[in-house]
Amino acid sequence: MADIKISNLHKEFGVGDDKVVALENVNLEISGHVFVSIVGPSGCGKSTLLNILSGIETPTSGSLTITQAGAQAAPGYVFQAARLLPWRTVMDNLLFVQADKSSETRARCQKYLDMVQLGDMINIIRTSCQVVCSSASDWRARWRPMLIFMDEPFSHLDAITARSLRRELHSMWAATKKTIVFVTHDVGEAVELSNRILVFAQGGILKDDINVELDFPRDPSDEAVAVAKANVLKKFEELDLLAT
Amino acid sequence: MTAVMTESAQSSPQSPRRSTRRLPLALRVLRSPRLARVLFLPAVLIFWLISNKLIADSWGFDSSVLATPIEVWDFMYAEVTGDTVAPANLYQTFGISLRRLGLGFVISMTVGTTLGIGMGLSKAVNAFFHDWVMALLAMPALAWALFLSLILGFGDKGPVWAVVLAGIPFVIVNVREGVRSTPRDLFDMSTAFGVSPLKRIRHVLLPSLFPFLFAAARYALSIGWKGLVIIELFGGQDGAGWTFKFWYDAHRLHGVIGYSMFFVIFALVLENVVLEPISRRVFKWRPSLNQPDIVEEDMDVVKYPALADESLSDRDTIIQEKN
Repeated sequence: MADIKISNLHKEFGVGDDKVVALENVNLEISGHVFVSIVGPSGCGKSTLLNILSGIETPTSGSLTITQAGAQAAPGYVFQAARLLPWRTVMDNLLFVQADKSSETRARCQKYLDMVQLGDMINIIRTSCQVVCSSASDWRARWRPMLIFMDEPFSHLDAITARSLRRELHSMWAATKKTIVFVTHDVGEAVELSNRILVFAQGGILKDDINVELDFPRDPSDEAVAVAKANVLKKFEELDLLAT
Repeated sequence: MTAVMTESAQSSPQSPRRSTRRLPLALRVLRSPRLARVLFLPAVLIFWLISNKLIADSWGFDSSVLATPIEVWDFMYAEVTGDTVAPANLYQTFGISLRRLGLGFVISMTVGTTLGIGMGLSKAVNAFFHDWVMALLAMPALAWALFLSLILGFGDKGPVWAVVLAGIPFVIVNVREGVRSTPRDLFDMSTAFGVSPLKRIRHVLLPSLFPFLFAAARYALSIGWKGLVIIELFGGQDGAGWTFKFWYDAHRLHGVIGYSMFFVIFALVLENVVLEPISRRVFKWRPSLNQPDIVEEDMDVVKYPALADESLSDRDTIIQEKN
């Protein structure tokens, strides 16, 4: 479990006439064993927020703290597409993000590779392996990140594969005490997986913060889930986020 | 429907082979690329002999000034066995030139890589050098040859500088493009996972630069060699270019042709014995060019029903080979 505190977070790209506001004064707290989805149209700053949280980008202003049991957290990141070093083997790719290369680490990497059966889902799976066996200087304390960022990880998969992976992801989250921040543009996916949905609008404005109180596992064909999805979509309409 | 598709797909990989087998042997041999490659040499020899005859007949001079393939062969054989009337034999001559080429190559790679990385990383450094690199690219090797022999004399310095100046702009431009095209997303991934900057340079930047460094080395060697031969020819006392001119001055056409053949052989040996094996080692991770690019289609199961029938592990092999 991790705690994220974001206050007055502001991010701009470019200068002068080319200036684009990616995030506008975002205030947010995420803590505990939660699955938070961030939804919104393309270009609303969803990925930028994840990049700032993971340290790839620095905010223009505002403050941000990510803690795990009182100490600085080491989050994992699942990117939208596979980010592998093509000149390294799968195992070496996993070891690349490890501070310690002991036989224990290798065995752990092997375990997760076996678990995900490198099949036709190879791209996404390889990336998620990087997360599960994520980097750590003190691997005992954080050898499996308790905080995971995911940036539209299922968006380039076919519907059936994505569905089974969503189920796996949910059961992994439920079995551990992880905090997951999940970016998606698919409202159905967000409703199926998360207990909290953050709605962003163009210009990086946090429009709404919806709690989804439904029992897991949520089947997309289940009536209650379909109703919840319709309710979230209705909020989108109220906020005028859907293209007409 | 499914059954029909599967059957047609399973038979399709064999069908091209079957159609080849139906052709008569003679026709198959004639159509083979290997034979075409072998046939090139006799074709050149025949063309050579016929044009010798035509030139001698139409100009009406003694055909002994023209070299025959046999004369060229004898000349090359004598040179290879160290028997020559030139001041230095083949090995001494090429030794001198290779030393100059090697030294110039090392200098142009070192300085060129440094400048290229600087220009790729900084807009200011790029702006400072850009026009001058373009000027170097536009400069003909002949201009360097005359200029360098005038200011540096006929020793080793001129030829080494000629190699450096001919090759360095290609190294700079290639390395600069390499630095500019380093995969940003891989850097972001490393940052997100807290990989140290030193490790990022060693394992992300350098491997992604290798193809560009290799292209740079090839250019530096081949363009440098051309520059070297020209400066030795115009302003040298020894070396391959000078010896080439020695045979020209002696009006020995077989010597001129024979020496050009040595240049060709040298280039082929350099490519096949030195560069190609290194490149194969360094780029082992890349999918080879003649391997079918099937990873995209692999996802498209309907198009390749035979693949869908294979076990999962077989498909893994295909994808791993590709990666």
